[in-house]
Formats: sequence, C-alpha cells, structure tokens
Amino acid sequence: MTSSTAFDVIVIGAGHAGVEAAWSAATMGCRVGICTLSADTVAHMPCNPAIGGTAKGHLVREIDALGGLMGLAIDTTGLQFKLLNRSRGPAVWSPRAQADKRVYAARVAELMRQQPNIEWVLGRVGRLLVKGDSVVGVELEDEFGNTGGQELRATTVIVTTGTFLNGLTHVGSEQTAAGRVGEPPSHHLAESLKALGFRWGRLKTGTPPRLDRRSIDFSRFDQSLGDDSPVPFSFLTEKLDRPQIVCHSLYTNQQVHDLVRENIQRSPLYNGQIEGIGPRYCPSLEDKVMRFPDRERHQILLEPEGVGVNEIYVNGFSMSLPSSIQEDLVHALPGLQDAVVLRPGYAVEYDFVQPTELRRTYESKAIGGLFMAGQINGTSGYEEAAAQGLVAGINAAQQVKEEAPFILERSDAYIGVLADDLTTTGCLEPYRMFTSRAEYRLLLRIDNADLRLTSKGRDIGLVDDRRWKRFEERQARFKRNVRAVQETTVTVGEGKRVRASQALSRPDISVETLLEQGELRLESGSDCHAFDLWSVESEFKYSGYLKRQNAKVKQSQRLEHRLIPESFVYTGVPGLSLEVVERLNQTRPETLGQASRIAGVTAAAVALIAGRLSR
Amino acid sequence: MFDPDDTIVAISTPPGQGGIGVVRLSGPMAEAVANAVLSFEQDLKPRHATLTQVRDSPGGRPIDQVVATFFPRPNSYTGEDVVELSGHGSPVLLRQIVAATISAGARLAEPGEFTFRAYLNGQIDLVQAEAVADLVASVTPLQARAAFDQLDGTMTDAIGEIDESVFDLIVRLEASLDFPDEGYHFVNQETVISDLEEIVRCVKHLLDSAGRGRLIREGSQAVIVGKPNVGKSTLFNQLCGSQRAIVTDVPGTTRDLLTETIDLSGIPVTLVDTAGVRDTLDCVEAEGVDRTRGAIGTATAIVLVLDGSKPLEPDDRSLLLESQNGRRLIVISKRDLPAAWVAADEAVIATSDDVTSACLLDNKDVAVVREKLSRLVEGNDADRDVPAVTNLRHIDLLRRADSILGQALESARAGVTEELLLAELTDARKTFEEISGTRPDDAVLRRIFESFCIGK
Repeated sequence: MTSSTAFDVIVIGAGHAGVEAAWSAATMGCRVGICTLSADTVAHMPCNPAIGGTAKGHLVREIDALGGLMGLAIDTTGLQFKLLNRSRGPAVWSPRAQADKRVYAARVAELMRQQPNIEWVLGRVGRLLVKGDSVVGVELEDEFGNTGGQELRATTVIVTTGTFLNGLTHVGSEQTAAGRVGEPPSHHLAESLKALGFRWGRLKTGTPPRLDRRSIDFSRFDQSLGDDSPVPFSFLTEKLDRPQIVCHSLYTNQQVHDLVRENIQRSPLYNGQIEGIGPRYCPSLEDKVMRFPDRERHQILLEPEGVGVNEIYVNGFSMSLPSSIQEDLVHALPGLQDAVVLRPGYAVEYDFVQPTELRRTYESKAIGGLFMAGQINGTSGYEEAAAQGLVAGINAAQQVKEEAPFILERSDAYIGVLADDLTTTGCLEPYRMFTSRAEYRLLLRIDNADLRLTSKGRDIGLVDDRRWKRFEERQARFKRNVRAVQETTVTVGEGKRVRASQALSRPDISVETLLEQGELRLESGSDCHAFDLWSVESEFKYSGYLKRQNAKVKQSQRLEHRLIPESFVYTGVPGLSLEVVERLNQTRPETLGQASRIAGVTAAAVALIAGRLSR
Repeated sequence: MFDPDDTIVAISTPPGQGGIGVVRLSGPMAEAVANAVLSFEQDLKPRHATLTQVRDSPGGRPIDQVVATFFPRPNSYTGEDVVELSGHGSPVLLRQIVAATISAGARLAEPGEFTFRAYLNGQIDLVQAEAVADLVASVTPLQARAAFDQLDGTMTDAIGEIDESVFDLIVRLEASLDFPDEGYHFVNQETVISDLEEIVRCVKHLLDSAGRGRLIREGSQAVIVGKPNVGKSTLFNQLCGSQRAIVTDVPGTTRDLLTETIDLSGIPVTLVDTAGVRDTLDCVEAEGVDRTRGAIGTATAIVLVLDGSKPLEPDDRSLLLESQNGRRLIVISKRDLPAAWVAADEAVIATSDDVTSACLLDNKDVAVVREKLSRLVEGNDADRDVPAVTNLRHIDLLRRADSILGQALESARAGVTEELLLAELTDARKTFEEISGTRPDDAVLRRIFESFCIGK
C-alpha cells in the first residue's frame, strides 16, 4: 500500500533534537511532519533527569535566545535550580536544573501542539527516499515492521534517531536489540542510511539503576539543595517560583569497590562484549573503580525523576554488570541496604554517522536536503542534541524558503563551536560540550546570549513578537546602563574617587556592591533582573580581555569567512603533501578557518590553498 | 605565523663577514617600518637608492649607514611593498638593524617566507615548489627552524619544560571550571601563585642567559661525527684552540653535543662535537648518539672522521651513507699510525670529493682541515632567507611570554577568577609554540580525564 503526503520538512524522531527541529522549521513557516513511535516518548530523558550543567547551560540559554523550546520547557517543569560556578566569573556561570521528566515531556508536547504547522506521524521510518543526490521523502515500515509501508514526500528530511540505529543494550551477558530499554531499534533505517555510503562508527553510553523511593532511608545522606534565588534558563521567564526539592548525596565504599573488582569479568565493558567507545567524562562505576584504584570513594547523587514518582535516579552509579550484582552493589551502601531496584542500569551501543560527513548546517554533504542532528552525530546530552536539532530545523526551513544557510561561528555561540567541532574533527567518543572547548569563552556568556543571538533569530523568523519586544527593551536598557557606569565616579578604599568602570575591574568590587552602597544607579527591568546587571558587570569586569578576544575574532575572520568551493580540487595544489590532501579530501572543509583546524593541516598549507583560491 | 598581513624582515645576504649585508623588509607596513628606523625625513622615492642612517629607535642612536631602496608592490621580489637596507657586512650590525625594525613593528621572517610570499603573489611559478613542500610537510611552519635549533638542545628543552608547567596549570584550572561538582579541589590560589612564580622565574632565567649572549649564535653549524675514539674531540679542541672536550682513550667519552663558535676566515661557525655513533646499551650514551644523528640532519657542514689505522667497520659505513647527501669533509685520522685500510675501504670513499688524511696532533695537518672546512662552509648560500638572528626571535618571544606571565601572576595575586587566568596562560603558550615550533598539546580534556576521575 503506497499513498503519498507532502511536507516541507520531515523529522524522524521526537527526542530533544527532533522537537527543536520540528518546532523551528514549523515556526519559520514550513509544513512539518514529525515521525515518532509513540506520542508518550516525546522529549524523553532516558538518562539523567536534568537539563543544563557547565557549558550545557550555555547551550540552553542560546537555544532560548534564538527562539527554541528547551529553556521554556525546563523553567516550567524544573524541580531544583542551581547556578554552577557562581564563585567564578560570569563567563562560566552555567544553570542546571533537575527535571520532572514526565511533566517536562508533557510540557514540550503541549508547546508543540500549539504550533499548527506540525503534524504528528505515528510510525517507524524504514527507508529514506532518495532521487539522484537529493532526498525526496521517507517510507514508513508496514504494520509488521517490514519495509514498503506508506511513503511521505518531503523537500527535506531531518534524521534524529538518537541511539536507535542498530541499538544493542547490555545488562551483564544479557544483550537485547533496543534503542532504549523496552523499545526496539531501527534496523531498516540504519541499512537505508548505510546504503547511502556515509562513514559510520559505534559508540556506547550507559545509565545507572533506578531505585524505589519508598525503600530508601534518606536520613543517612547529606542533603543537596537548590539556589535560594534560582536563575531561569529562558529570557522569557520572569520569575521561577516553583517549590524546589531536595536531592541527596552519598559515597561509594570499599565494599562496593571490592564487589566490582571481583565481578569485573562479568561486565560487558571489561570482557570484550562491548565494542563501542564510551564517554570518558561520564565513566561507568566499573571504569571508576578499575581506572582510579587509589580513589577511596566516588560521589553518588540520588535524584528524583519527578514529583509523586517513585523512581530515583542514582547519578554516578552507571554500570552494565548483571542485575543480581547491581542489587548487591546498591545494598552495600548504607541507607540503601533495603533499596528495591526498579530497573537495572544498562549500557547501550549504537551506530553513529561521522559528522565530518555534514556541513555546519547539519545537512549531509553528499545528499541534498538530508539533515542529521543529535546523538546520531556522535554527541551525548539532551542540550547538545537540542542545539543541533534547532540548527538543522532552521536550515531545512531556510532551504525550503530558498534562503541562505544559517551558520553560527565559533565566536557567536557555543552552538557554533559545537557545529564546527563536529563537522571539522568528527567524533572518537561521545561528544559533550565543555567551556574549555570555546576559545572565545569570555564572549560567550549566559547573560548575553540574547544580545548575541536574538536578532539573528528574529531575522530568520524564529523569534516571535513578544520575545522581540522584550529583547528590544532589554537591549536599550543595557546600553543605557553601560553608559551610566561610564559616566559615574565612585568612592573606593580610603575615600578615593575613581571611575565606576575602573573600580569594577577590581576582583572585590561588583555592580551589586556599588548598587548596595548607593554609589551607582542602574535601571532594571521587571524580568530577569539578575541577567541585566550581569551583562553590565561582565562588560566592565572583563573589559580588557573582551577587547583582546574581540581583536582575535576579527583577526580570525579572514580565514573563517573565506569559503572553499565544494568543487575545489586539492590534488595538484603545489606544495600540499599527499597526507594533507588526503585529510582535506576526507573532511572537505567549508572555509579556510575550518581547514586550519584539521589535524595535520599546517598554516603553510592553508596559505597555499588561499593562494590558489585567489587566482 | 604565515600571516600575509604581517610585515616580515630578515637578513637576506649569506651569513658571515662580507662587504655589504642586506636587510629586507616585505609586507604592507614595509615602508612605514623603514621610515620609523631611518633618519631620512622624507618619503623614500620608489626604486631610488637613498643614503641614510638606521637608528635603534625613532630619534635614537644611529646603528649603521645604509642605502635604502623602496620597491612598491607589485614590482618587487615578493610582489608586496619591499624595502632593502644595504649596510656594512658585520653580522652584529645587521642583527641590530633587524632588531630595530622588529621594534618598529616588523616580524622576523620564517625560513623560506620571502619565497613563499613571492609564490603566493604569483611572482614565481613553482620555482621553489620543493622548498615550499618541505615547509608544508613540517608539523608546523616553524618546525624546520626548530629542528635547527635542536642542535642547541638546551633552549628547546627548557622551553618545553616551562610549557609543560603552564599546560599542567591550565589543565587544573580548566578542570575546576568544567567540573565544579566533582568533589575535587583541582587547584587553589596559593598553588597557582607559587606555580606561576616558579614559571616566571624559569622564563627570566632563560632571558638572563640570553642577555649574556650565550644564546646568540650564528646560523652556520659544522658537525664533527664519527665512530667512538677516532679523534673527533681532538679535532674539535684543535679547531677551537682550547680543551673544551674531554679527550680520553675510552670510547664513548663524549656523550652530549658540545658546541663552540670559532672563526673560520672571518665566518663565525658553530662547531659541534658529537658522541661517537655506535650501537650502545648505555642509555645516556644512546641519547647522545640520537642527538648526533639529529645533528647530521640539520648541520650546514659535516666533518666525518674515520680512523685510518683500522679497517672500516659497519658503523663507519653507515655514517658514510647517512652523511652522503650533506656538504661533507672526510678526515682520515691517525696518519702517524700504520695505515690499515684494505682496497674495499679505499673504494668506498673513492667517489667522495673532499677527503684529507691527517694526524690531528700535527698543527700543519689541522691547518689543512681548517682551510678545507672554511671553504665548505663559505660555499653555503642555500639558506638565504634564513635570518642569521634566529635567537633574536627567541628573545623577543620570551620577553612577550615574560610579560604575559608576569601579568598572570599579578592577576593571580589579586585573586581574579580562573577563566581570566586561563586567557593569559593560553596566550603565553602561544609564544612558546612559536619558539619551539611544536603545536602545543591542546588536549586539555584528555589530560583531565587521565588525571582525575571525572563524571557521574
């Protein structure tokens, strides 16, 4: 049976990448079909019930500044909010929130339903339809899970299938073909994608056991609380007034470590059963014990998965040992001796596409109109997935509307760093964002995400009138406040009068102290009061450094803005070694800047290419 | 590096004492830089020779009388604005002229960079594609030069150690920013301050030694190689006129590279005595042998010493092979002892053009070696673009590193937060990168994961 429905954009998958992709393309006026297996697993959080964290919080602020969903959804469903790195400078402050995962998913689904251009397609995509070197749609599996179901036509297709491509879960020696526990993987789609000739790799990630809240003795643990005056993710959120819950922390002990060591051969990670490469920044319990034998204990956090939900997430305790050993390990911890394990931890292996196959728009270099975003590109994390989904959705829409590609540079946003890192270097392990990846870190702050990005979002039609009006007010206010600081002199130390701008460069003086002492007067909006002041403060605290970073950005533009035509032939450029030619051919960089970041490509090689380009 | 917007400078006549020496400036600021250092008050007239003086700073002390010629683009060697300053041939004066232009905003050229620009600007077509290819093949544009400097070992090693300390500090600071909730205290303010003090101390120490002139050496290098105990150190001492190398009858006495600058017919040449090359299990000696092989690869000239009183051994033959492509003088030593070479040995060196037999304790024989060596070195005009002031560049970069790190230390004492210190430290590493020519280990995250148990 074949029938045909036409969309501008088809999104395969409704995880964090899928929903942002569908949302952005639909908001920009495209007719979007989003294919998912079940309406219950929209924006699902199969791992940590949390959004944000260092650098990830930055991504969420940026997604929000452009008009995406994630910030709005977490602000209304978070259980506990913390601003990380508060003791450091404003460039590295990052929000993080515990999420009520079911309510979060419902909130995202609700926001999606308010967008009339989105149509839900319940079913599993089995095949991509490609004509020549362009995608023309997808074919669903039939009711028996075979290829040959309904065809859906589309100008562009965005694949956001997460860990579902040939997914395989491991609990001890027990292996199950699944994208997540209890959900069958996508084999047909994987085959269809592989037939297109992309380069693939295999990665692994893991998740800890879930415990029943009612079987835990919480009196034995330290409490971990949220911030007193929590900071929102979204520029639209005026105030976070949700009650905050308590998390608990504890530590592993010698008994746990001994048990792991005794049973290490039963861990699929250590007996060769798992081939995929796991993330080093998120080590399994097995790795922690075996690789760091000198460490006496490792921290564990008990995080509720929601209000009125009995599942407790055991953060820091991910493993793939057999269930019976997982029970023993849990019971070896004081306070958890009677804990009921609702679901054992597991590892999942999955296929991913080397993202060097993609442009910074996440469109495939080989197949026009085919985009990929999220874990399929080798990343980990909801925020990284959402950021890619947003950019892919925007660019699919731009293509449909025959507009220019929307690309953020490394100096514009963490979203730009992410796209450039992935498409230039590819992935050897699951990729997570860190602030240390951003060379222009001091410019890319949570307080100025809107100043950096909202007008760009407006230009492409993603920022609605309400957000835009608010932004315009805030931007004008920011400018007035900066001027106010420049025009104010204040008293510091022993009655010495100095310019406020000078005083603020001292580590012990902040805008807040000057306001408290009545030395400085600034306007503040009714909303996001804190961010308003932080933007002003950063401007002066970082002043010299910002100037230097801006100068470096300017210097880099000469390479970053120099496009290399797709048809450029490296072979035969005099002076380029065979090795360099091979590397360049493998990645096919879009700009000279990108070329310069490919391992083994020297400054001289870049100059040679530049020379050839200008002839 | 290789930024075509920079104005570059180098001595473009061959190293050594000559009648005149030319310093060449190329790039958008060439004319401005020249105006800043010349006492001539008007604009230079294109393609006209102007007799004037170079001053060490605007209005400062005159260094030398020069003839300045301005070649506006595109009609110049590189296709860019070029100014040539022809001064007297003294290497010391030429170095000072280069230093003056650097303080006026020029940058010391990389090896081959003038040619490279000429190529980029379409002035030459594939002429020196070979040279350019070598350049590209190095891991960084500076590697070629760094390999050269490696002969001096101490400098690059010292920089490497300082860089490693800075990197280690960066790793701990980055870890505290990216992993604030791991229950680790990666680094505290006191440690940062004391580490930085130590780093600054090391940089200053290097700069001091540079100030004493120890690091200022000329470009030409002659390397003495050979099997152990064939008389290399005797020759070295004879040429230097001092007892710098310890000479014994025990093979393997010289384990590291010894260097001394000597005057060969007016050309300063850095003479390098090396460890004897042989297969060895002694690891100190083996390291010395590795350096010897490195020296062979980068030297201007090689003096291969073979013992005439013993038949050639496999070690001799492999040295003959390894050095055959370089500019080479073969010295057959121990002429005073009965000759022991067989016909096959004679045949091996029959095709080599520059061979001399000598008793290295005989002054007349040594004079012949000296004469032959000076002709060998003089004939060297292959590296015209290579500035003779390699180490001036080091000093310049070290001063920059010193000032950045001093600023970082001040910031650390004032209690600024990690992300700001990191901005300074990253800049400091860039200067080290330019000195050593090796791309820095930027795998901060890898080091963090290796060193700490991160992540939940």
